[in-house]
Amino acid sequence: MNGKSGESLSTVEVEGIYFDGRSSRDRAARLTVQGDQVTVQTSADGVSGGTEARWPLARVSIDPPLPGVRRVLKFPDRTRFETEDDAAIRAIERRARRTRPLSDRMLGGVRQLEGSWGLTFAALGLMGAFVWGFIAFGLPAIARGAAAATPSRVLTTFDRETVDLLDKPPYLGPSKLSAARQAELQRGFRQVVGWAGGAYSYRLLLRDGEPEDDGNGSFGGFSLGANAFALPGGTVVMTDQLVALARSDRELLGVLAHESGHVTHRHGLAGVYQALGLTLLTTVVTGDLVSAGTFAAAAPAALLQRGYSRAAETQADEVAGAFMLEKYRTTRPLRDILARLENKDAKADESSVQSGNRIEDLLQSHPGTANRIEHLRALEQAAK
Amino acid sequence: MPDPSFSSMPPERQADALPLTLTKSGPDSQLPALQATPTISAYPMRFTGTAGEFFRLWIVNTALSIVTLGLYLPWARVRTRQYFYGHTWVDGQNFEYTANPVALLRGYLIVAAFFGVYTLATNIQFQGWEWVAGIIAVSFVALYPWLVMKSLRFLAASTTHRGLNFRFHGQAGGAYVAYGVANVAAVISSSLALPWAWFMQRRYQVENAAYGRARATFRGDIGNFYIIGLTALGMVIGAGIVLAVPVITGFALLTSDDPFSGSRDAGFLGAMAGIAVLYLAFLAAYSLAWQYIRGATLKLVLNSTELGGVVRTRATFSPWMLAWIGLSNAAVQVITLGLATPWAAVRRTRYIMEGIQVLAIASLDDFAADVTLNENALGEAATELLDIQLGF
Ligand SMILES: [Zn+2]
Repeated sequence: MNGKSGESLSTVEVEGIYFDGRSSRDRAARLTVQGDQVTVQTSADGVSGGTEARWPLARVSIDPPLPGVRRVLKFPDRTRFETEDDAAIRAIERRARRTRPLSDRMLGGVRQLEGSWGLTFAALGLMGAFVWGFIAFGLPAIARGAAAATPSRVLTTFDRETVDLLDKPPYLGPSKLSAARQAELQRGFRQVVGWAGGAYSYRLLLRDGEPEDDGNGSFGGFSLGANAFALPGGTVVMTDQLVALARSDRELLGVLAHESGHVTHRHGLAGVYQALGLTLLTTVVTGDLVSAGTFAAAAPAALLQRGYSRAAETQADEVAGAFMLEKYRTTRPLRDILARLENKDAKADESSVQSGNRIEDLLQSHPGTANRIEHLRALEQAAK
Repeated sequence: MPDPSFSSMPPERQADALPLTLTKSGPDSQLPALQATPTISAYPMRFTGTAGEFFRLWIVNTALSIVTLGLYLPWARVRTRQYFYGHTWVDGQNFEYTANPVALLRGYLIVAAFFGVYTLATNIQFQGWEWVAGIIAVSFVALYPWLVMKSLRFLAASTTHRGLNFRFHGQAGGAYVAYGVANVAAVISSSLALPWAWFMQRRYQVENAAYGRARATFRGDIGNFYIIGLTALGMVIGAGIVLAVPVITGFALLTSDDPFSGSRDAGFLGAMAGIAVLYLAFLAAYSLAWQYIRGATLKLVLNSTELGGVVRTRATFSPWMLAWIGLSNAAVQVITLGLATPWAAVRRTRYIMEGIQVLAIASLDDFAADVTLNENALGEAATELLDIQLGF
């Protein structure tokens, strides 16, 4: 065995213990690394004689370090050497850098992170930033991409399931409009979807939004009231209460055009995917598939009530604006019915909506009605 | 692996599970070392992990799992286990968890894919979803005991101590009895057979375990499992009675027209708050009972296990203390929004480990290796991801 002096740069010596892999007996051992050669020596003790084994460094596997745990070197014949001397093992690791698997080297880096409170909290901060960035930007982008790529057959299925769920009291009941009035609105809807285009199975469902109207108003129950909404596959639901609120069919066609915008831009499906992505993210953190599955089942229903994002509403308004400018050269009817929806007042028009508090606007996920009316007016100005 | 040639003892010594109790001397021509008075050495288990150290490991694991969108999860799991195994010591030597994270990742992806298809099928309900979801659910139920067996095999093969692997010799037949028949019996007997199922499962786990070539034996008695179950049941019933008294009194006070009882609304709100508190207290008692069952079963199993006829484990921790630790850990984890999870895990493990001793009538040096098999990680992935409790 070579001494350390003179060759200290090329020779590493470590004291530790040795297991031969055949019995559970631990033996004091010395490991020497010289050049590319690893030598493990045990000296004779009362039970058995000394041993010596040599291995090329490249065939020795060095287990990634763990905080506070002895370092372990494993040899191809299932023997192993363990030592407390982390510094010496790190010197050997540096020497074996080129031949060690990438994952082992990366876990060495992980050990560095774990070793210091500062780096741990930096990792925590980085993780926070990553999660925020992912939820705010990454996930919506992925969800939009996935929504655009989804075949329309899936969308039709989604519509059918949602309508099955909603098309009964207390949500919806059969429309009380006359057959003639319904046919008139269906004709208008066909005009809108003919303009909107796309391979969707469009249909307009006219329904009563307060099917259990017993004079108590909406106390205690969930009521859609004056409302219109679009499902991903092209199904648009419009309630009798909204029809009653309108003073002209132009207003209603504006609303339907807005809903067709949600369909063609696949806002609904993107929302569902976004909720699914959030679920996956929670699964990654908790590693628990079962509770994630339960959450995923509840997500679409929650989404239906939450509605669309600001950006989605603005985009749908732009579609509606384009339709109205093309057909009537004005966006005024849509602005008026928006104002009436906001004020729940049949006599209101666009001038009766006041611009809200700025902070309130920011907190809302829906754009404030005042902003939407302003935006529609700007669209009309731009077209002139 | 070749037969051991190193050991000074004949290799049969470790291979045979000798009918030997530790209290009496076992004169046996095969055991020259034990012919004289066998001295029993007690080796206390030690746990050297610390909350601060594990907290950092845990944070880094979580951060990397998120940043890699879950791909790091198997490495995180393996590293966590390695930390706990590596800090568990007997007679100056620690344990090692040697699972290959890549194999685990493969298993995770397979299980996650099936689970994803199942969730998709039940949520979106595409054409023919009933068949897809039905086939996945039925095969999961049918495969459940087999998955448990695979998981136990993988866990044993991935555990190393003193350079030797553990091994699990359990076969599918035993698994279908212990995890299939016994669980079904527990359900249809409305839990009357539940302690019997615990007994069958623990016996299956221990009797098939081996360290090197030394097989473990289980000396547990089924009656003790019933005592554990009845103790827990008694505790829940007792808590129910104690907690019901103030509820009944409260209702009695509310319904009486006492002019001095103050405004009715205040009384009503107070009663509601009281009921909420009592409900939480009952939930805590219920959870305490389950924690007790878990701890008492662990203690019973440790006190009934022998290895190779020369080693026994003895547990001196209190199951009630363990139940309290479980309950208070949960409370602290909720209050700290999960940040105390590493502290809680270290606290529980330390309490258990410091209450376990290994009793040996021979040196712990003399166990011999067995053939090492590569075990498939699929069962392990399924039990981990689907939260199947193996009862450890
Ligand atoms: Zn909209």
